[in-house]
Amino acid sequence: MADAPRLITLTIDGKRVTVPQGTTIWEAARRAGIEIPVLCHNPRLRPVGVCRMCVVDVGERVLAAACVRQCAPDQKVVTRSAQVEGHRRMLTQLLLSDYPRESVRDRATGEDELLNLARGYRIRGTPFPDGTGQPTARGTDTSSPVIAVDHQACILCDRCIRACDELQNNDVIGRTSRGYGARIAFDLNAPMGESTCVSCGECMAVCPTGALTNKAWSGLGAGKA
Amino acid sequence: MELLTRLMELQEHHGAVTDEMLRALSKERGVPLYRLEGLRSFYPVFRAQPGPKRQVKVCRDICCHMQGGAGFVERVRRAVGRDAGGRNPRVQIEAVSCIGRCDSAPAATVNDIPVHGTAQEIAAFASGAKPLPGNEPAAAPRRWPTDPYPAPAERYGALTRLLRGGDAATAERGRDQVIATLKAAGLRGMGGAGFPAGTKWEATRAAPGAVKSVVCNADESEPGTFKDRLILEDLPHLVIEAMIIGAWVVGAEQGVIYLRHEYGRERKAVERALAEARARGMLGKNLLGSGFSFDVRLFISPGSYIMGEETALLEALEDKRGEPRNKPPFPTTHGLNARPTLMNNVETFAAVPIILERGADWWAAQGLRGCKGLKFLAVSGDVGKPGVVCVPLGTSVQELLDLCDGVAGGKALYAFAPGGASSNFLPAAKRDVALDFAALQQAGSMLGSGAVIYVAAGRDLVELGANVVRFFRNESCGKCVPCRVGSEKAVEMIEEALRGQPRPGLIPLLQELGSTMTQTSICGLGQVALQPILSVIANFPADAAGRLGPSRVKTGAPARKQTATKHAARKRMAKGQPAKKQIAKRRAAATHAPRRAAAKQPARPMAKARRVAGSRAASRGAAQRAKKTSRAARRTHAAPRAIRRARSRS
Repeated sequence: MADAPRLITLTIDGKRVTVPQGTTIWEAARRAGIEIPVLCHNPRLRPVGVCRMCVVDVGERVLAAACVRQCAPDQKVVTRSAQVEGHRRMLTQLLLSDYPRESVRDRATGEDELLNLARGYRIRGTPFPDGTGQPTARGTDTSSPVIAVDHQACILCDRCIRACDELQNNDVIGRTSRGYGARIAFDLNAPMGESTCVSCGECMAVCPTGALTNKAWSGLGAGKA
Repeated sequence: MELLTRLMELQEHHGAVTDEMLRALSKERGVPLYRLEGLRSFYPVFRAQPGPKRQVKVCRDICCHMQGGAGFVERVRRAVGRDAGGRNPRVQIEAVSCIGRCDSAPAATVNDIPVHGTAQEIAAFASGAKPLPGNEPAAAPRRWPTDPYPAPAERYGALTRLLRGGDAATAERGRDQVIATLKAAGLRGMGGAGFPAGTKWEATRAAPGAVKSVVCNADESEPGTFKDRLILEDLPHLVIEAMIIGAWVVGAEQGVIYLRHEYGRERKAVERALAEARARGMLGKNLLGSGFSFDVRLFISPGSYIMGEETALLEALEDKRGEPRNKPPFPTTHGLNARPTLMNNVETFAAVPIILERGADWWAAQGLRGCKGLKFLAVSGDVGKPGVVCVPLGTSVQELLDLCDGVAGGKALYAFAPGGASSNFLPAAKRDVALDFAALQQAGSMLGSGAVIYVAAGRDLVELGANVVRFFRNESCGKCVPCRVGSEKAVEMIEEALRGQPRPGLIPLLQELGSTMTQTSICGLGQVALQPILSVIANFPADAAGRLGPSRVKTGAPARKQTATKHAARKRMAKGQPAKKQIAKRRAAATHAPRRAAAKQPARPMAKARRVAGSRAASRGAAQRAKKTSRAARRTHAAPRAIRRARSRS
């Protein structure tokens, strides 16, 4: 018989919360009814802490990503100060500066999580150079019969990669290149339709943006192939 | 290690790692194709297709940029083309990040052999017109004051005494003693973070779990940094001895030296030293009959600056893309293969034998001005005699300059970066500051990677700051949003400004962006990526004002208002007005965040130390200077003052 997990108590936004040891701050906050915004995290997936939208103040030198940071005893967490919100807003604006003008997901289902976040912050524009239509723009891939890929709408949240490789064990999607040039890739950076993709659809189910969508929604590939 | 080593072999033998090779490897090892693509495309060493026979890599970073001038890589390219009559298909010329030869800038490699000189000279090496120089370790290694052994026969003395200590209880006391000595000596991590070595050894020893590892981080690659290169060439036995002692103390069974691939000469020196240690029975099974077994493996890095970050390095050793991990947990408990791992920098390890041989008091007494110990420093930039020196910790910036024949060409000193490219530029007025962890932090910069870059009067500091920001952008791994997107946008905006078209509100926007990157990036690279330019803005406001525009924020964020109209097509995003409340909120974010960065000191930055230093004192002094100089400058110190006000409220 396994021992019962040790319980720890911490304070989140002034609320005392008791959770089993090993619980992340994001999860503990959720249980306490406090929602911390995320783009890369999804409770079905192993957290990776890359979008940094869930940063919270735990009294350290820099903020911590709530989705990966485990709760500590007597910790005091602030999830929504002006400072924290300011940084989230800035991160949202950074992502928006490269985001295409049209999001298929937004038009089809209204569930584009990046655009919804931007609406929540009442962001009307971004102070940064427009990354769409630049030589660095990442283009689209309509080679799959089922899934439309808009690399420009990809925020490299890693959700599709974890869904493909860890939920479905299809092992098709990864990241290629690095830095600002990084993007998702199929097998050896093949077009999706020529890769070993079996069109299970898990990637587009977890995608938070207009990057991986159902072709039926978009007409993105229609008449182009 | 196996997979990346195999890819390195393929690259070396075939000049490329092609799709066919990866497909074969995928079948042979049962590794998915996407993983292999991820590795090949991440590490700069690998190519998908073989290139020309002569591979020329020309450094584009700050020290080489200072000596070679703008457009140096282009000039080499033109010179090579002319040399062979038009385009030269036999030669491939590539601009690369710092290759650690800042003391012979401008530097390049031709088929991995370091060369340096004018564009014409490098072109001559590139085309084969001039034979390539040798690349062997020094036949007679230089003597350094941290080497306790006058003759090769006496090497491994400290280790030998520990291993021959006697029974188990004595050995255990010996381990306690080593940690106590390192603590008393005040030895701190020399990779840049300055974490107390004794504390790290103690934590790794206490961490449960096997198999433990000892890793030597020999991947220094921050522009201006090349001190470890000399240590590896001249004192590799000290590094190896310390790794063995470390393993004996913490109970590790395997060791790895993670060496940057550009260090070919040093690789040979380390390989020879490892062979020597093995021949003397210092590596392998049952060392000196003590029952303790340990061996060290040399791993050659497939490249990129971020690998010097301790967890990125561990990812590489686990055959993954070198993307830093979220910390905690730290390597002391969750290192290589999630097991406790003792990781130190080359210089830190190399200091251990002499501390154990001569004692903590001796080591502590070597420092100046209350600092403890000796320090290797890499000196470059506008200096008469660039190179590596080993001096008392606490030596001042001016004393070091005197030691290196002063400013090149007899010019006046204008500025200096005391701890590598990521450390804040300080004005010459601070030249008497001690090169020490605390003193530099207080002065608004950091000791960092022990690389002092001197800048003479007449230099364009904004351009140098921009060069360093570009370096961080180039070397961002791309894992987290603030660093991946933020560094790119910052570079684009700074380049607009350098072209004479700074966007309105650029300076406050860079300050705000820098604060978000500091607060939210996963690792130290993203955390300090904008610091070089921000330090120019804070400490040299007159320089910045001329190029980057005024720093005053009038109401809210004017830049946002303007671009908002430009992006009106995205109206769907929000129907509501950006209420005054929003603007106030933004302003709060802009002023609060820097205060936080300045007020709290880093608890545990990345191994290669890219520490964000609060520059309150610095910006005050600079602002005062600016006040005297010009009206333009008067307009610009508004922002630093605003930040200062915000800080003083804390």
